[in-house]
Amino acid sequence: MSRISVPTTAPLPSSLRVNPSSTTVTKILSRLSRASLISVALDWLDEDNLSLATPYLRPDQDDDEEEDDGDFYPPASSPEELREEYLSLQNRKGSKRDILDRITTGDWRHGVSLYQLAIADLQYLYDHPTSQKWSAYNIVPLKAPTEDDDGEVQPLEADKTSLTIPRFHPSLFLKSLQAQILPDIKAHYNLDRHKTLPLLILRIFVIDSPYNTPLSLSSNRNMDTGSKTILIAFPDGSPNIFISKPTSTGPKGASESKSLRALLVEGIPKALSLPRQRVTLQSTSLTTRNLEGLLDRRGATRGNAAGGGWSIYADEKVKESPLSTVLPSPPLSDAAEEEEQGNGDKKRRKRPTVEERVNKRARLVAQARFGDTARVGDGKGVERVDLVMEDPFEIGGDDADRMDIEGEDDGEEAFRPNVRLTFHGSHVFAGIRQLVECGVIDGEKMPGWMTGEEGVTIGAVRNGRIRGHKGSGL
Amino acid sequence: MSSPLRTSPQPPTLDHEISALQSKIKTLKSALALQASTLLTSPSTLALLSSDPKLTSQSSLHQSHHLQTLYRTCATLTLFRAQDPDPNAVDAGSILGLRIEVVSRAKFLRPYYVLFNRPWASSSSFPGPQRKWLRVHRHTVPSCIPLSGLAARYLPSPDKDDTRRKQDLGKFARGVRREVVRYHARLGTVADLRKAAGLGRGGDGGDKSGLVDISPADAEVRHVSVEWGDGRTGRLVIGDDGEVEKLVVVGENGRDREAGRELLGGLGLAGTVKAEEVVRRLAGTGGA
Repeated sequence: MSRISVPTTAPLPSSLRVNPSSTTVTKILSRLSRASLISVALDWLDEDNLSLATPYLRPDQDDDEEEDDGDFYPPASSPEELREEYLSLQNRKGSKRDILDRITTGDWRHGVSLYQLAIADLQYLYDHPTSQKWSAYNIVPLKAPTEDDDGEVQPLEADKTSLTIPRFHPSLFLKSLQAQILPDIKAHYNLDRHKTLPLLILRIFVIDSPYNTPLSLSSNRNMDTGSKTILIAFPDGSPNIFISKPTSTGPKGASESKSLRALLVEGIPKALSLPRQRVTLQSTSLTTRNLEGLLDRRGATRGNAAGGGWSIYADEKVKESPLSTVLPSPPLSDAAEEEEQGNGDKKRRKRPTVEERVNKRARLVAQARFGDTARVGDGKGVERVDLVMEDPFEIGGDDADRMDIEGEDDGEEAFRPNVRLTFHGSHVFAGIRQLVECGVIDGEKMPGWMTGEEGVTIGAVRNGRIRGHKGSGL
Repeated sequence: MSSPLRTSPQPPTLDHEISALQSKIKTLKSALALQASTLLTSPSTLALLSSDPKLTSQSSLHQSHHLQTLYRTCATLTLFRAQDPDPNAVDAGSILGLRIEVVSRAKFLRPYYVLFNRPWASSSSFPGPQRKWLRVHRHTVPSCIPLSGLAARYLPSPDKDDTRRKQDLGKFARGVRREVVRYHARLGTVADLRKAAGLGRGGDGGDKSGLVDISPADAEVRHVSVEWGDGRTGRLVIGDDGEVEKLVVVGENGRDREAGRELLGGLGLAGTVKAEEVVRRLAGTGGA
């Protein structure tokens, strides 16, 4: 341990220990459940992680005075012993408090390393998948810089005609991201693969200090007022990136964490850029707590630009080989439905009542408008959709007028009330689908943005369509 | 635990019988559909059918479907019409669909679709022909294909002042197909490389070649990372035409040119070797 602190531009090392009594540590650890705490502790004690998460062990030389120091959590003599201990705790009953105390005042009394904190934080994400609010950004290539007549460099523009797909190399990215971080804050990076989803998660832990020594961390002021965590997820095989809203421990929260996010949104594209190949981040107006839903709309699947009813084109289960000579049955037709339902109930077909027919019609319309998306149990829901209506208020106008509003009619001022719509719920579009299915919403007259096929959660509606997204947002 | 052990030696129950019969019904039905389609389109039956209007209409349906599948198989780029269900859709919801067939591992995959609309159809601010210009509305092309770049190149939006602007659907379609086919060829090559190096799906090491992992390293599968059991790692860049564009192998003591030459074979010069040849070489050494 160095005696003097010298300001540096290096990142915080993973092995750096934090005082276990600081609020950051207790905050991160205490929100985990008992089972998760034990599994995290076992994770720390894993062979591969042990070098970065060394527990406090009994020193070899003073074997004789082990009994008399009245230690509530006597230190173990080897990591294996400790592992056994935690495994046995797993089967025993007890309170979360015990485990927490054991970790902070017993086995890791000399400090919890930043790496350990990162693992614990990720465990919280696995336990509570909706704990973070993610925004999706698209990585877009930039044009080569040009100079105008005075020799000044023009602001860079997105290169729409570029055919290169930005590439992501984790270690190179971290290296150049570190160069982008200002020298008066220090960050710790931890890259991890998501356990179940095809994602690479980067956790950035930032403190307000120019030093990267234990001293800077041990002073509670730095640790507790200025530490922030931000998560960045890189989906496999897709030029998109998801950035979480930073969480900070300090009292001065909102504005600072916003500026940190802005800083990162500025720094990430620079770190992703390669020589002669610059990129930028573009917001895709999609913000949700559901990572799985994000992956469905911005991941490496076919359904990215084919949401709602268009998903029938993206469904890979449908076999549509050109070598099959059998006449295909169109979707939603009787034959297709029979196939789906099995052929058992053919004989008891009687004339359906009017109500049954209306219900069936509503169900079919919902199926046509939503396809196989927006099911209640599919786990791909968004929890909030904000829309601004920019359509003029129609007074007895028929449909023929609507098409002409586009450009010319702007001369005479139409009445445009300021209407904002917010849909809120556990799975917004599944809710709308259910309303269509039970006939509350007329599925045939329902505008397309209510099906979620645009794949955005923030938008402005003009002429009945989400503006700027006449299509897939290309 | 004990109940399945007890029931297994017993003869199949009624449920099994029912499910077996149901699967039989399914196969028979599909066989029937196939036979019917074959009969309805064969030239010898066509002559007999001419009297029955119902049968002739069925037959013409089947024939047009046959023609469609023929085009889909041979031309691999086909167009179709569709209807946008959105009541506010532009151009009354007319949609032009482009279907792109891809063959991978001797099988037709689910085709990729690009759906176009004509958002400028009803606006009077553009000259006549430009109002019919297309715009990509929806598509199912994976995000690692530069579809937006191709669309910006070949399907620009209309501009009153720029009369030289042109849309070229043919070039766009061919461009997308080229990228999609290349992508699947690269995916196939990586799978072949893995197979040739004796790497199973479970990722158990193939000790014959000393390689422990071959996996795509970027979204487009242009970069392939190669790992050896002794800690050497390599990066292979596959070019547009399936050639190995670059290869770098880094061992403990910096760059390991010998290993690179060994992997590529021949002169060991990147850019002259096709990825398939590497596959063949790996398979050869694996077998020996």
